[in-house]
Amino acid sequence: MPPRIPLRPRALRLHAPHPSCTPLGATYASLATATTPAPPIDQTIRSVPPVLRYPPSQPPSHKPPEVRKTQLHRQYQSLLKSSPLILLFQHNNIKAVELMGIRRELALALRKLDNERVSNGQEDLYADQIRLQIIQTGIFASSLRVVEFFDPEGDVLDHAQHPTDPATPTSAQIPQTTNSPDDKRFTHGLSRRAWQAASNRKLKTELDPLLSGPLAIVAFPAVSPQYLKIVLSILAPSKEFPAPKRKVNPDYHEPAVQAGLQKLMFLGARVEGKVFDSDGAKWVGGIEGGIDGLRAQLVHALQGVGANLAGALEGAGRSLWVTVESRRMDMEEKEGGGKKEEESV
Amino acid sequence: MITRFLTDVRIKFNPFSIRSKPARIFLSLIPPNARASGLVVATQMLPRTSKEPATLGLKFKDGKEMNLEISKMRITDIMEEVDRHSRQLARKEELAGN
Repeated sequence: MPPRIPLRPRALRLHAPHPSCTPLGATYASLATATTPAPPIDQTIRSVPPVLRYPPSQPPSHKPPEVRKTQLHRQYQSLLKSSPLILLFQHNNIKAVELMGIRRELALALRKLDNERVSNGQEDLYADQIRLQIIQTGIFASSLRVVEFFDPEGDVLDHAQHPTDPATPTSAQIPQTTNSPDDKRFTHGLSRRAWQAASNRKLKTELDPLLSGPLAIVAFPAVSPQYLKIVLSILAPSKEFPAPKRKVNPDYHEPAVQAGLQKLMFLGARVEGKVFDSDGAKWVGGIEGGIDGLRAQLVHALQGVGANLAGALEGAGRSLWVTVESRRMDMEEKEGGGKKEEESV
Repeated sequence: MITRFLTDVRIKFNPFSIRSKPARIFLSLIPPNARASGLVVATQMLPRTSKEPATLGLKFKDGKEMNLEISKMRITDIMEEVDRHSRQLARKEELAGN
């Protein structure tokens, strides 16, 4: 009996058409597309906007950016650039408990000063930003050299067209730097150029002799003698800046805190790029009323000078005026007399 | 450095002089508990302009005093000087059976 389903051997065969029998409908020359389209007319008359080859916040650095060293270097650079007043201390084997005690006392004293300033209606409260920070001495020294000696002139954005210029293809300002640290145009502190500038051993900083051994710093966001006074009286008490009395602040006289303070040595300060020893720092701390006080003194002095000067100038003018006026009166009298005489004639 | 035979350390230096580095390193070598166990450390900082050399005065438990001009020494030399006497004291103590 033949099978019910009729077998069709041609349908079972694998479909592999012979190239000669392809249907003609697939190859229309008019439908063929070019693989590379012609560039738009804009691109042929203007340059293509540059492409940023790296994340904007991470320009290529000389040293590997992921290691702790590099990040500390960057952090110290920004600290040195942003704080005009830095105190340098040496810490000799301070224990963790003692360091904790010292930090606590410092924070409390600063917060107290903050509250005083608030009640006086003054602004600029820095208590949260001033703290004792232990630093890696070598990295700090290196970043200080970068801050002092690396002065990048020119900006990576100098070439860029202004975003409001209608000829500008994009308003995004993109630096025209390559993705390699060799590029000379980088201006950040971790660039190879910065490293080269800082590794010139002929250049010396004033702070160099201080930067050895175990160091800690206290950085201030502004030169504020009031805060400096408090910090010095807590960390390095002296005659001018006595430590708080035992009755006022018994915690400060705990043995742990005092033992820690014995091991903390005040070495010097960096005030707006200049280096002061401990006496110089005390002098800065002794400025009454801070920058406002200095300004008031200056204004007072200038006002006195101005008043004197005005008096002197005015005196000359007045005497001249008096002379001229008297002469005028005199002439008027004569003229008046002449007229009268004419009338009478 | 053996510090347990020291009773008194007087040190004087100008931190802004490169020659005072050994003085500062010597201070950082004193162990954290030394002051609590009876060692007196007196540090005097000279002003920045002074040209006075850094000096170190030591007193040992047996009463010996030692004065060192440390501005011309390296820290290893200082440690050697201090340890030379400290080792003698240590040997005596050991022989006495304490």
